Amino acid sequence: MSTDTTPGTLSGGQAGTGNQAPLTAVEGIKSRSNFLRGSIVESLADKATGALAEDDTQLSKFHGFYQQDDRDHREERRRQMLEPDYQFMIRARVPGGICTTDQWLALDKIARQWANGTIRITTRQAFQLHGVIKSNLKPTIRSINDCLLDTIAACGDVNRNVMATPLPEQSALHRQVSEAARSVSAHLTPNTTAYHEIWLSEDGARTKVAGTPDKEPIYGPTYLPRKFKMAFAIPPRNDTDVFAHDLGFIAIEDGGKLAGFNVTVAGGMGVTHADPATFPRLADVLGYCRPDQVNAIAEAVVTIQRDFGDRTERKHARLKYTVEDRGLEWLHQELERRLGYRLDAPRSFEFTHSGDEYGWQRTDDGLWHLSLFIENGRVADRGVSRQLTGLREIAKIHQGEFRLSPNQNLVIAGVADSDRTRIDQLVVAHRLDDFRRSSPLSSTPWPALAFQPADCRWPKVSVICPN
Amino acid sequence: MLQALKVENSPFSEQQVQQLQQSFGQLDPQQSLWLSGYLAGSMAGGPALTASPARLSGTAMAISAALSAAAPVAQPSPAAAAVPQKTLNILYASQTGNGEFLAQGLAQRAEQAGLTVQLQSLNEFRLPGLKKLEHAVFVMSTHGEGDPPDDAIDLFEFLASSRAPKLAGLKFRVLSLGDSSYEKFCECGRELETLLLAQGASTFGDRVDCDVEYETDAQAWSEQVLDWGKQHLGTAADQAPAQRLVQPQDLNALEAQSISGNLSLVPATTIWSRSRPFPSIAQRVQKITGLESGKDVFHIELSLEDSGLRYSPGDSLGVWAFNNAELVSKLLRRLDIDPGTRVALDERNRSVRENLTRYREITRLTVDTVRQYAALAANQRLNRQLDGLDEAQFREFIEARQLIDLVEAWPPEAAGRIDASALVGILRPLAPRSYSIASSQSIVDEEVHLTVATLRSNAIGQQREGAASQYLNHELQAGDQVGVFVEPNRRFRLPEDPTVPVIMIGAGTGVAPYRAFMQEIEEQGDERDSWLIFGNPHQRTDFLYQREWLKWRDQGLLSRIDVAFSRDQPEKYYVQHVISEQAERLNDWMKRGAVVYVCGCLAMGHEVERAIAQALARARTGESEPGSEQLAEVLSGLRRERKLLKDLY
Repeated sequence: MSTDTTPGTLSGGQAGTGNQAPLTAVEGIKSRSNFLRGSIVESLADKATGALAEDDTQLSKFHGFYQQDDRDHREERRRQMLEPDYQFMIRARVPGGICTTDQWLALDKIARQWANGTIRITTRQAFQLHGVIKSNLKPTIRSINDCLLDTIAACGDVNRNVMATPLPEQSALHRQVSEAARSVSAHLTPNTTAYHEIWLSEDGARTKVAGTPDKEPIYGPTYLPRKFKMAFAIPPRNDTDVFAHDLGFIAIEDGGKLAGFNVTVAGGMGVTHADPATFPRLADVLGYCRPDQVNAIAEAVVTIQRDFGDRTERKHARLKYTVEDRGLEWLHQELERRLGYRLDAPRSFEFTHSGDEYGWQRTDDGLWHLSLFIENGRVADRGVSRQLTGLREIAKIHQGEFRLSPNQNLVIAGVADSDRTRIDQLVVAHRLDDFRRSSPLSSTPWPALAFQPADCRWPKVSVICPN
Repeated sequence: MLQALKVENSPFSEQQVQQLQQSFGQLDPQQSLWLSGYLAGSMAGGPALTASPARLSGTAMAISAALSAAAPVAQPSPAAAAVPQKTLNILYASQTGNGEFLAQGLAQRAEQAGLTVQLQSLNEFRLPGLKKLEHAVFVMSTHGEGDPPDDAIDLFEFLASSRAPKLAGLKFRVLSLGDSSYEKFCECGRELETLLLAQGASTFGDRVDCDVEYETDAQAWSEQVLDWGKQHLGTAADQAPAQRLVQPQDLNALEAQSISGNLSLVPATTIWSRSRPFPSIAQRVQKITGLESGKDVFHIELSLEDSGLRYSPGDSLGVWAFNNAELVSKLLRRLDIDPGTRVALDERNRSVRENLTRYREITRLTVDTVRQYAALAANQRLNRQLDGLDEAQFREFIEARQLIDLVEAWPPEAAGRIDASALVGILRPLAPRSYSIASSQSIVDEEVHLTVATLRSNAIGQQREGAASQYLNHELQAGDQVGVFVEPNRRFRLPEDPTVPVIMIGAGTGVAPYRAFMQEIEEQGDERDSWLIFGNPHQRTDFLYQREWLKWRDQGLLSRIDVAFSRDQPEKYYVQHVISEQAERLNDWMKRGAVVYVCGCLAMGHEVERAIAQALARARTGESEPGSEQLAEVLSGLRRERKLLKDLY
């Protein structure tokens, strides 16, 4: 078996089955794309259609957006000799789910100006904007970057938005874990200049300096075989569903401060209906690491999956299948070989809950946090419910930050005693107090692609390790 | 071979059918062929058959061959050529083909009367030849806001310039065609007469200005011209066939016959006409603008099955639509007229409701209608208001209103009374509407497709719809009948050379003929480059036939699409802006011999024409702001070489 760790060896099909099947079509698109450029610039310039060229619809995911069309009107538009009503969903990464009020205000404006006037909080603590038409993609993505968020790698065969528990009781621990999440997110962000070139430069001009070809030191030119998900959890909360992730870090505390992390690998709950070759898998706890080892471990796991993941069958391309095919012990050894050191034995931890506790809570630093129920994560103004307006008004006066929960809810975090009343008034006035009502509003249908696959929740997991 | 000839399938009476069968029943096929060719040839002017073989279709070639082989009588005899006669010059400038049709009819009848005729389109007429003219009639149409047809622009400029020659030796007469619902009715005919008189020419009869219903007036004028010609120019009644210097396009009549009927004794194109429309069955009425569009555009498919009607890409379809029944009822109710009241009109006795629904215009007002209504209604307020309007204001007043608006705002006073026959009497006859055909028969066969936008106006706070577009889009249903006829437009055809590139510029429903072009290109396998420049308000809902354009582009049949969606960005962006931006490409295409087509509303047409002139003048002169003379020169060149073809309405 190859031990080559050079990025981007296009050696798909090395997975345990040893098959010689051809690479998937997406692999071809990636490899021809010149580091994710494809013909996106040309697609954007083609005003005759609201769609992208077909290959670009795959590459667009790496830039953070999906092409969709309004299925309800597809048949009607076919009769009208109009193409489908193409629109785009844009996802913005929010590592650890922490968002400043300035960022919220910027996003609120973008949603009303370029999208359909709603902001959606995803189960990965990211934002989604819906209903953006092609000609508005560039200004939208640009504006998102202007407020210091980005969309690169929000979708696509790369490491996605890194999740972290939004509201632990210990504020110092939360700060350290969030910092680790941000750091590893930045470490695994694709290196290609295509994103800057297409979205942030003036009129799509190629701004890259000649003679400095793109490099992806971690991903290589064909990136990963499939998406890669990473989460941090702070016990006793497992709201980020850490065992459902390709790679997880469970915070281990020592006197209110971060001591290190238990490392979990090869989780994933996705299955294809009626396909027995696909199955859900809970992650295994592999060992323990210091906070300063997180980035190296993440890079090593990602490159192992890059080199050994199945590039011939997308349904079989997640890390969990690589581990099932080769064995957990193989992964453990390969990881330590690439790291050059051994992981410590895992520490004890206990998860007792995973849901959000609505209403006001106070942390050990004396600040208050208000967890709001947001139905389906959809922040909108609908009838008497003026949630988008309400959060805009709150963001204008709030001194702290907003945090997105993995349950698609929103926390108004870091409120001083003196500000509680004002915020409460705004919450009530804009019907953001649904969590106080006995039954939530009935859910309304949503276009199919807008749904995240429902994550499987594990309400209480307790692992006691001999220490 | 004439057994199939019946009264029902021919223009002949029972007696004529019998006579024809007796006379021609004995002919063998060769003789029949010869005779049919002879008849067709003498209708179109025999010598022409050899004058321009490039224009002949296969069948016409066969006729031509038959004629030249077996019909020495069809050749002009030396004796005929020797008789000195004065020539009647018939000059015409036509945009829609009506003027051309009238001029040809006159030429034909003049020949039959033994006159020597020279029929010419002004486009082919050499301006220096003007001073040599002695006897001429001009058939001149007017378009839009008093604009001359393209073919006449150079003549007008010449006559108005210092180069204009003295024309003391010219006797002339003008027939002008126009539409009285436009402000400058028949302006060009009037203008031409003024200019010619100013150069010393004299008329041999009054100018006649014809409205949309031109037949009767034009007929009378033609008779007078013929009478005058017979008296003053000399005839050669014993000569057959007549001498005539024929222009190539005269052959089209012959071509049309041969296409449809292959030497049939009954040329199909003569069966169905404006006055005798084909009852077509609607097959599909489909809205093609998307949800939330501000435009209401429909794709309409009509059957031409068994009609024998043929059309070419670029032609228009005349459609006889009815007025809205509810609108008619409302009008009659407001005027307190019993809908069943009988009114005699055109020698027929029909109910006033039927007259208003099928035979009279109620959605287009004219100056006369408004004045007569005001008089009959004895409404002092209306009379006072009208008295205060100058000509332009009156025009605006009319354009903003329909008959119902008059009746609702200024009902008849006690002193006034409008009865059924008075009402019918003040209204113009209903005219058919003309739509650029959106299909090619090479693909759709016995169908014709139209692209119709519902005409809506809200000028005085009341939404009003255009009669025909409302009828076609919202009343006509699949299975219903509608009367149609083909209006050929030879000025808007694909180049015959299948390698000549085409640039198709259209806004809104102006894209219709290009769908016909692309169907033709697809079916004929043309190798020409093609470039569509389309404009409408929104990309998402208003890109008419979007799927088809994208399909043709994917197939490589359509080389390029540029779109201008005027309201998808803060600044308005129209097709003329595309042209300015693509000036270099346009110039390259023109150098490769491309033909530019412009179709859509008049206002857009003017802007586009200007943008084209500017783009080309810049490229050719290297000047960033070419002067108006340079622009005029570019346009004049394009018109002369038939590189800029327009279908504007």
